Amino acid sequence: MDLYQFTEGIVSWLVGIVNWILNWVGFHGLAGWLGSPDIIKFLTLLGESIVLLAIGFIVAITMIWQERKTLGRLMDRRGAMVVGPAGYFQNIADGLKTLLKEYIIPEKADKTAYNWAPVIMIGSSILLLVAIPLSGRFYMSDLNAGLLFIFAVFSITPFAILMGGWASNNKYSLIGGMRSAAQLISYEIPLLLSMVGVVLLSGSLNIGDIVNAQAESTWFIIPQLIGFIIFMVAIVAEVERIPFDLPEAEAELVEGWWTEYGGMRFGLLMLAEYFRGYAGAAVAVLLFLGGWSGPFLPPEIWFLIKVFIVFFILIWLRGSLMRVRVDQILNIGWKRLLPLAMVNLVIAVVFKTLGWF
Amino acid sequence: MAKEAKRSRKNPGLTGYVLRPMYATLKETIRATLHRPNTVLYPWEKVELPENYRGRPGLVMERCIGCGICMRICPTGCIELVEIEDKDHGKMRKPQVNLGRCMMCGYCAEYCPKKAMIVTPEYELAASSRQDLIYDPYELQHKYKPGYEVHIVEVLPSELKRGAVEREPGREGKDRPELDDKKCIGCARCAKICPTGAAEMGQVGVNEKGKPIKRPKFDYSKCVGCEQCVENCPRDALTMKEVL
Repeated sequence: MDLYQFTEGIVSWLVGIVNWILNWVGFHGLAGWLGSPDIIKFLTLLGESIVLLAIGFIVAITMIWQERKTLGRLMDRRGAMVVGPAGYFQNIADGLKTLLKEYIIPEKADKTAYNWAPVIMIGSSILLLVAIPLSGRFYMSDLNAGLLFIFAVFSITPFAILMGGWASNNKYSLIGGMRSAAQLISYEIPLLLSMVGVVLLSGSLNIGDIVNAQAESTWFIIPQLIGFIIFMVAIVAEVERIPFDLPEAEAELVEGWWTEYGGMRFGLLMLAEYFRGYAGAAVAVLLFLGGWSGPFLPPEIWFLIKVFIVFFILIWLRGSLMRVRVDQILNIGWKRLLPLAMVNLVIAVVFKTLGWF
Repeated sequence: MAKEAKRSRKNPGLTGYVLRPMYATLKETIRATLHRPNTVLYPWEKVELPENYRGRPGLVMERCIGCGICMRICPTGCIELVEIEDKDHGKMRKPQVNLGRCMMCGYCAEYCPKKAMIVTPEYELAASSRQDLIYDPYELQHKYKPGYEVHIVEVLPSELKRGAVEREPGREGKDRPELDDKKCIGCARCAKICPTGAAEMGQVGVNEKGKPIKRPKFDYSKCVGCEQCVENCPRDALTMKEVL
């Protein structure tokens, strides 16, 4: 039983109850319309997306908590520890706090762009969750070119960042937006090239097929170790975390491109950041670490465990590395990562030609 | 070899920039996870204070004679004498401290002749207004414990010649008031103001109308050198004489 059938069962049961009430009251036409297959399908998809969003939300909240605690340990202190068990509800308290904050728009901002930039940012971050399956039975949509879709949606965010940075009418946010655009051209190509090796070995862009190919042979981290390292470096740049957080460099630009965003927008942008962190870690797991395959436990649990382990690596990088300078990131992207990605691609071609995969 | 050394200093490379910091933080994480992190959980547990910790100044009310030396010595000028009703002596002037200005130097405790000012180990002094930070003599009171007083480490040149390292407590070696006989009009204000009763009026003779001439006599063993008589003299007949 997959997610669709499960949700359909629940929706049909609820619609059955409502129909019984409607029939009892006397609205027979409305009851018949509600029971038609199209409406049931629509409600099922709605329910499915709610489930997916809820899971993404819980994972993002847990990731913020994990980051707070782990970063605390990296710095020899305790993270959040007062609200809830081991400080788990601190994020929810922070969310409520941002909800109560005043809603300020800068006087000279470009209002339309200023208001729509976070919508694009958050919308694209949530759209990422659609293409990421938790397991072979727990997915929203099984796209044929799912990997391509994920990276296409990932690449929308620099556009939103540039838009928000320009619209805020603030020098710091403008510099942040420009940096985001400059960063995009340096990491995007090594990222996609490191991914091509995996696609070559599995012979498909469908995420389910990639995971099945790994279950049949071995995890792709073993033949594609260089690719995995390149992917991790590039995904840190993609989700704009600390070694590559140029658009929101706290020490240089006040808060980067979201300097002027306050209140719940700030909270949602922060949450979107962790949605993207979840998506990045999930893609790393799906491509290189065998996806949801694993013994004993249910596949969804295995997948989430692996995601949290990969996210721990991101936190670890954040805790130990310093921010890369603006001119250095192009050097890293084009002079170091691109040749390595080429080498990695050649390795993948050799393995495929020898017929080992 | 020399080339490598230069590289490690100028450009640490992949090892220095990435691998070594990652190793260091991982080690730290493991240590902090197995043992406790170094953080002190402040509201629940507190740092153990050293024995001679100097927190806010405190006052032992029974000992205070209201001489005002603390007010005079205070570098930030946060001490002021206010008049209160003392149960033994009636109206008295005692120190009131503005803790918003106090910098916890402990000079008031150091120079207090009766060791009535003490330093207490209290450091949680947050208040909701500036007015609350001004501690009147009653709020300033603190229970005395040996070790709260601060001993003066100032040594006079004359004592140093004798081989002393620290000023001996109770020794008369303080600045003392001197009387200029011609200026004195015998008003006895110095005797009234003196907190220790060191100044007493004594008759020294009779003037041409047959009335007694009174002049203050100072008992230097009682005098603490607070200069209140000098300040209150209407004719500037008293001056402080420095004792070295």
